[in-house]
Amino acid sequence: MKVPLRWLQEFIDLPTDDPAELALILDMLGHEIEGYEVMETGWSDVIVGRVDEITAHPDADKVRVCQVDTGEGPEQIICGAWNFSEGAYVAVARPGAVLPGNFEIGRRTIRGVESNGMICSESELGLGEDHSGILVLEGEPELGVDFEQLVELPDVVFELAITPNRPDAMSLLGIARDLAARFETEYRVPPRPLRTVAGAPRVKVQIGDPDGCRRFTAREIRGVTVGRSPLWVRHRLRKAGVRPITNVVDVTNYVMLELGHPLHAFDADAIADDLLVVKRARSGEKLVTLDGEERMLGPEDLIIYDGEGPTSMSGTMGGARSEVSEGTVNVLMEAASWDPPTIMYMSRRHGLRSEASTRFERGVDPNLTDEASARAAAMVVELAGGDVSEGLVDEIAKPLEPLRVELRARDVEHLLGPGIDSGEVAGILTRLGMGVEGSEPMTVTVPTFRPDVFRPADLVEEVARIHGYERFGATVPTGPAGGLTPEQRRMRRLISTLVGAGVSQAVTLPFVSMEGLEALGHEDSSTLLRVTNPLREEESVLRPGLLPGLLVAARYNIAHGARSVSLFETGRVFRAKPDESDPRLPLQIDRLGWVAVGAVGPSVLGAESHDANADVSLALLRRVMTVLGHEDHRIAAAPAAGFHPSRSAQVSLAGTVIGHAGELSPRAARNFDLPGRVAVAELDLAPLLAPVASVVVGSPSVLPHVDFDLSFLLPVEVPVGDLVRATVEVGSDLVESARVFDVFDGPGVAEGHRAVAIAYRLRPLVRTLTNEEVQPVRLAMIAAGDGLGARLRGV
Amino acid sequence: MDSTAALDDVLAKAPAAIDAAGTLDELGRVESGLLGKSSAIGEVRRSMGGLDPAERPIVGARLNEVTEQIQSLVEKRRAALEVEDEALLLAQDRIDVTLESYVLPDATTHVLQQTIDEIVDIFVGLGYRVADGPEAELAWYNFDALNTPPTHPSRLESDTVYLDYGDPADEVLLRTQTSPVQVRWMETHDPPVYVVVPGKVYRKETTDATHLPVFHQVEGLAVDESIRLSDLKGTLAHFSREFFGPKTEVRFRPHFFPFTEPSAELDVSCFDCDGGEPGCRVCGGAGWLEMLGCGMVDPAVLEAVGYDPDQLSGFAFGMGVERLAMVRYGINDIRHFVDNDLRFLGRFR
Repeated sequence: MKVPLRWLQEFIDLPTDDPAELALILDMLGHEIEGYEVMETGWSDVIVGRVDEITAHPDADKVRVCQVDTGEGPEQIICGAWNFSEGAYVAVARPGAVLPGNFEIGRRTIRGVESNGMICSESELGLGEDHSGILVLEGEPELGVDFEQLVELPDVVFELAITPNRPDAMSLLGIARDLAARFETEYRVPPRPLRTVAGAPRVKVQIGDPDGCRRFTAREIRGVTVGRSPLWVRHRLRKAGVRPITNVVDVTNYVMLELGHPLHAFDADAIADDLLVVKRARSGEKLVTLDGEERMLGPEDLIIYDGEGPTSMSGTMGGARSEVSEGTVNVLMEAASWDPPTIMYMSRRHGLRSEASTRFERGVDPNLTDEASARAAAMVVELAGGDVSEGLVDEIAKPLEPLRVELRARDVEHLLGPGIDSGEVAGILTRLGMGVEGSEPMTVTVPTFRPDVFRPADLVEEVARIHGYERFGATVPTGPAGGLTPEQRRMRRLISTLVGAGVSQAVTLPFVSMEGLEALGHEDSSTLLRVTNPLREEESVLRPGLLPGLLVAARYNIAHGARSVSLFETGRVFRAKPDESDPRLPLQIDRLGWVAVGAVGPSVLGAESHDANADVSLALLRRVMTVLGHEDHRIAAAPAAGFHPSRSAQVSLAGTVIGHAGELSPRAARNFDLPGRVAVAELDLAPLLAPVASVVVGSPSVLPHVDFDLSFLLPVEVPVGDLVRATVEVGSDLVESARVFDVFDGPGVAEGHRAVAIAYRLRPLVRTLTNEEVQPVRLAMIAAGDGLGARLRGV
Repeated sequence: MDSTAALDDVLAKAPAAIDAAGTLDELGRVESGLLGKSSAIGEVRRSMGGLDPAERPIVGARLNEVTEQIQSLVEKRRAALEVEDEALLLAQDRIDVTLESYVLPDATTHVLQQTIDEIVDIFVGLGYRVADGPEAELAWYNFDALNTPPTHPSRLESDTVYLDYGDPADEVLLRTQTSPVQVRWMETHDPPVYVVVPGKVYRKETTDATHLPVFHQVEGLAVDESIRLSDLKGTLAHFSREFFGPKTEVRFRPHFFPFTEPSAELDVSCFDCDGGEPGCRVCGGAGWLEMLGCGMVDPAVLEAVGYDPDQLSGFAFGMGVERLAMVRYGINDIRHFVDNDLRFLGRFR
């Protein structure tokens, strides 16, 4: 909302007019300053004059010679405009004046006749668009006064963001009231007395929807002359960001800006059957609004009907059929009270946010309708003439009484601490327009213009706001015992482990497109979790896994020239089936996923890089599992959707499959434009992060070790990992390490077999090993290999 | 010349000969020339048998003396030459230290994660716990329990993302704030409550330089027997100084949120200029940066979880992680956070 300072000063005498100081105070009252504009006078030396005599120019027929009195006797000025006659009050730029655009006015001679200055148009003064003729002033302003006084310049316009709980603050009155409370001074509504004539409006009003319309007040003004508003009205409206239209319409806006109550002016003669009925619309009905748009109405729209049908959209925008136009003679000035949610939904449904709807959807005071319509009627008479009938329409469907709230000293101290005495509390609330009786508890009567205040806490907020948040102290309470949970600490280790291994953390949007899922090559679409109101197709399905997002991120990097990409993400995935924690919710679990493509590991000048593949993914998996204490995890070759069918493993913890690691299927890699092999994995996070029993770690043995190698001929269908595990198991705690150092097949290796060479290191814990002790271990290992179908080579 | 005189002569000439040896090989030759079988000393040694028995011990003693002295000179020279030799070898083994021929793999924690961890750690230091909750949430937790009336505009389909799941009466949605976790935490924990909640939140936003449909918040909640406005101010002032630097000033402007009363917005003084420098790249000359929303927990929220608002009070706050990171690092496009361009991610070490 735009608040011009000079207009505001009609409502309150401010102790300062420094814009920065006022902006800070408004900010600290909760009316956020989005900015303020200091409006300078755009000219110098422009004063009020009166054209006393107009004569023809002897040698030019497009201009006239005017004798203009500026208070110091007549000056001769040649003028090319014809929209005025003798007696007109005008704005005169004297010789030496500078107009906007650095346009300097001098004495000139035009075809032999001297011209001492210029009679100005609005556009020449930068006041408006009107350049059809010169600016003719209304009334009889004092001659010779600085013209800037007539348009209240210089001025400051504050742009405020009013919070949605404060309908009352969307007005000069409301802002003045808050400022008065802060400055401990008075505010006022400048008087605008209404004189009435006998009679009553012809139009009758029926409220058919008391929930939608609490009250409907209207006054009839007969015999108006619709025309342009005077300069001061137009200029104040422009400063407030409202375009002047006609005097009658301008009045509705002017009074709305002053009091915060929107008004609507009907052409009373365009109301069919002299009857207005407020009710919900029927589907299929139409209404052409003031902006010329035809609106399709629905059963939730609250509409004002006349004898012919819909004629106005309540609280939002009037209808074209009953709008005030040039020929309007009789006006019905409506000030009605509308249900906030009804207006909010209606204005959004029709894409029609107006000054009126933004106020009504916050809740305009129903007890303000009479004052608003009276003030508007008085101002119409002032600007457009006419008579206001004494009688008025004032239908009250649901009266609203002020609330009474009890406030204890304890309520204030409970939230604000000690230090604000009841005298200050009472003073603040009183200055905000509330009634205060008694002391403990205080009984506070809350006026109906403050719908946001209905509990002690709301009163406490008002006290804090006016007292000033800046005046409260600063203390730091601490919790009894805080800290991260074991899972949260392990999560941090997981992240630092992956980052340390050269994988960067990614954050992707948790939506997937069907296209992305199809590119990955799997989807049980029946359990996809879908959005009912997506903004875009790409944001219509929640991700069932992390890989689509990670692959898109990898593609983005490759497309931008990256030669290698290693990314991981931890995040939530969704399914349209019941969640374990709360079956009303869809399944949502946290996952860890990664993708690597291109070179991995250190890069060495002159050496070939190692590119990502399944082995890289499995190495990362082992690292993660080791760091998190899951040495007992199991992996087994297993295909999974989206994964390479024979280069991927399923990962199990304690007998439960928690995910997969390996290589992306080549088809998916092509679909995501990723070159070469792509290392991928996706694992459930909760079992990874679940705390594990700590391992008892003794001192490393310092006794001598014994090394030997065994070379097995292993059938291809037996995993090497099984052979290693079986041979290590029989060596029990003597085996310090077992390292596969060679695997090959081909010449010299029996068909259907691989040659696997393993280096074992035995180290005793208690006493030095003898040959006699090593030999049985070796034999047991060979026997264990034999149990898997492995023969010792060269035997 | 008798033997002793010969030995003295050798000893007198030896230092010059040894010093003249420029390499270890030369030194070897000089050494055998001085001490070898065919050397003057060798001759004396061979002639020892033929000496007068009375003279023999005198010549023998002198022989050993001279031999030792020469050997010592040779060893000294050898050590010096070895040092020179090694220095030469090391010089030849030089590398171009500016050539990056071995590069470790490079990776970073996401800047949002870094920011979240930093925020969380500040509050953990004040005794807070860290909580988590559903992202797909019931309208009751996201709105009703947080004192947001059924007609509040934020519930409109134009602002909130709803899910095609479950009982329509439950209105399953993607949480628009981390605040529902406050409610879930209070439902399952007795006071006092000191908790922060980092996580993703969802809004129906068209993606542009300043909006994403999904972003991150850190929510904070403290509920105890005598939490007051000054506690909110002190806690967030502490946080701001920890996060933006010790000189940071804060100000609290009254504001409105359905779930707090009184409510405030927190501004922090610009950390990049000394307050209101015209054209400052961070604050644009305003001197203040809008940081987060906060307030005293609305009694209706406490009631909704079964806490007695007459006995307990609290404060809550919520901050946008992307916004904090954007302000701090001068990031001008929020989409960078989810593009995952390694060139961007790599800037945050």
